Amino acid sequence: MSFGPSVGNVGMYIAREMLASVPEEDRPRYLRLVEEIAELKYQLGVEVARQLPRLLAEHDTDLVQTYLDQVKSVAASGWKSSVEVAKQLPDLYDAPDPAMATAYVDIVTEATAGPAEADEDTKLLASELEDLEREIREMEPKIQRAQEIKSHLAAKDRRDETRRKHAVDLAAALPSVLARLRPKYRPVFLMEINRVAAADSEAALEAADTLLDLLNGERLSAEGAEEWVRRGLDVLERNKEVGRGYFRLGSKYALDVVEELHEGLALKDVARVLKLYATALCGRDVAIRSTLETYAIEAFGSDHVVLPPDMRYFEDDDTNFTAYKVATAHGAGRIEFGTYDFRIDEIPDLVGGLEARYGGSL
Amino acid sequence: MAVDTQRVEDFKLDKEPYYLPVGNEVELFEAAYNAHLPVMLKGPTGCGKTRFVEHMSWRLSRTLVTVACHEDLTASDLVGKYTLRGDETVWQDGPLTIAVKSGGIAYLDEVVEARKDTTVVIHPLTDDRRILPLEKKGEIVQAPDDFQLVISYNPGYQSVLKDLKHSTKQRFVALDFDYPSAELEEEIVRNEAGVDAETAARLVKIAEKVRNLRQHGLEEGVSTRLLVYAGQLIGKDIDPVAACQATICKPITDDQDMQRSIVEIVATQF
Repeated sequence: MSFGPSVGNVGMYIAREMLASVPEEDRPRYLRLVEEIAELKYQLGVEVARQLPRLLAEHDTDLVQTYLDQVKSVAASGWKSSVEVAKQLPDLYDAPDPAMATAYVDIVTEATAGPAEADEDTKLLASELEDLEREIREMEPKIQRAQEIKSHLAAKDRRDETRRKHAVDLAAALPSVLARLRPKYRPVFLMEINRVAAADSEAALEAADTLLDLLNGERLSAEGAEEWVRRGLDVLERNKEVGRGYFRLGSKYALDVVEELHEGLALKDVARVLKLYATALCGRDVAIRSTLETYAIEAFGSDHVVLPPDMRYFEDDDTNFTAYKVATAHGAGRIEFGTYDFRIDEIPDLVGGLEARYGGSL
Repeated sequence: MAVDTQRVEDFKLDKEPYYLPVGNEVELFEAAYNAHLPVMLKGPTGCGKTRFVEHMSWRLSRTLVTVACHEDLTASDLVGKYTLRGDETVWQDGPLTIAVKSGGIAYLDEVVEARKDTTVVIHPLTDDRRILPLEKKGEIVQAPDDFQLVISYNPGYQSVLKDLKHSTKQRFVALDFDYPSAELEEEIVRNEAGVDAETAARLVKIAEKVRNLRQHGLEEGVSTRLLVYAGQLIGKDIDPVAACQATICKPITDDQDMQRSIVEIVATQF
């Protein structure tokens, strides 16, 4: 309540003109009484603040007290009724029969409170409701946690299902991969694929195919394969999808690691020099092919020299290059002198030619 | 140290330049000379075209005026122009005019490099007129009987932008030159470089292999001239592989792979 600096804040606003209508000596009491009523209900305080100046003007302390008591008693049953009572009651005090005010208050109180039994039931129900609501509030964190656990377990179930599905795929693919694997690489291959499978079955499926090519193609040694898998598992631990990409050589990092771990001299690094060397030696356009490309060699004709994808017989690149050069020179010699020119369907002409050259029949 | 110089019109070889005929080119040239026909020498660089002209100049006892053609060579550069000399404006004959007047052999080396208008200037000299008009001077120089025009060009260098016009080509007797056979090339290298027969044979074998790389990144193979250079360095006690690197690998290509492959070819011989 505020009324300028002299009144202070008593919890509700009282208009200046309203306070002005209260005799000056009664104002502190007025404010205290209004504040007391306003604590029950703000709206009730407002109404009492309006009516009290009129009662205080009569200088009848008992009447004021009676007013306040009656308003409070009605408020105990229902504050809305008490606001109306606070408004009407001063007029009833002016009635010829003083009992009218009391009877009025009783009627309104009864009407507001209702039967005594029903009130007891309501209290019980309200109490029960309160208990239940409290329990529900207490349960909310538990419900939330339960939802979290449920989601987590569902995700795990899905992962397990996916894992089992890829495990089945792995089980189906592994025998043919093992059949194509060079025997000397089986131990390291099995050990490394086992490690990847324990971490992620889908990644193991990718790793099986990739490692097969890397080992068969001599792009990685057994030690290199171990290191390549170890680094892939690090990636896999941080991010499953990226890790799977690593094991299918689908990332630059995976290729860089292979390059880093690669030992010996790579054919691709010297293929052009060897091609020019062979072309110069035999005088024909020679193609250099890796043994990894043997599936396509027929399409290139006979003027090609097939070499391993890397040379690692020696410690240094120069000597490995010499090894390549020796192999290339042999290949160029075969091309120059026609080793590969023989064709089965040319046998009749060949026989005829030999007979003509050496006489007689073969 | 004093240096002897000669005027171009007086340049005559007094010592026989070494030249080993590969075919009938000497006879053909002599016949063309006697018939007053211009000659065109075609062939890759370093195969002996210039040496052949020098040899024929000596053989026919004619002076030799050689003009190395280039893309800035104008008709005036070739036939002559007015120049300021002191307070006077005097006419200065160009090398072609000098050669015509002196009745020797005019050799336009790599003529295709010269500007188109330059090549047209020589047309009147190459038909039965055998004249050289000096337009700026208002004169016509009649070529004497002992004058002969010889041009050379390398067909391997030609392109749409740089080629002799047919109207020019069809005025010449053409002699094709190529690298000589291995046997002849060995003899040439041995004679010119002063190396023994075995070294010459190895150098020629290297050239044979490297020439296989034409159309595979090499514009031209190793010239006989470079083999002679290699032999000369070897004759000066340079390691044969180093000599071949300096004279064979590096001059003919800047391609690192190509150079390395040629070094490997050299290594098969030395």
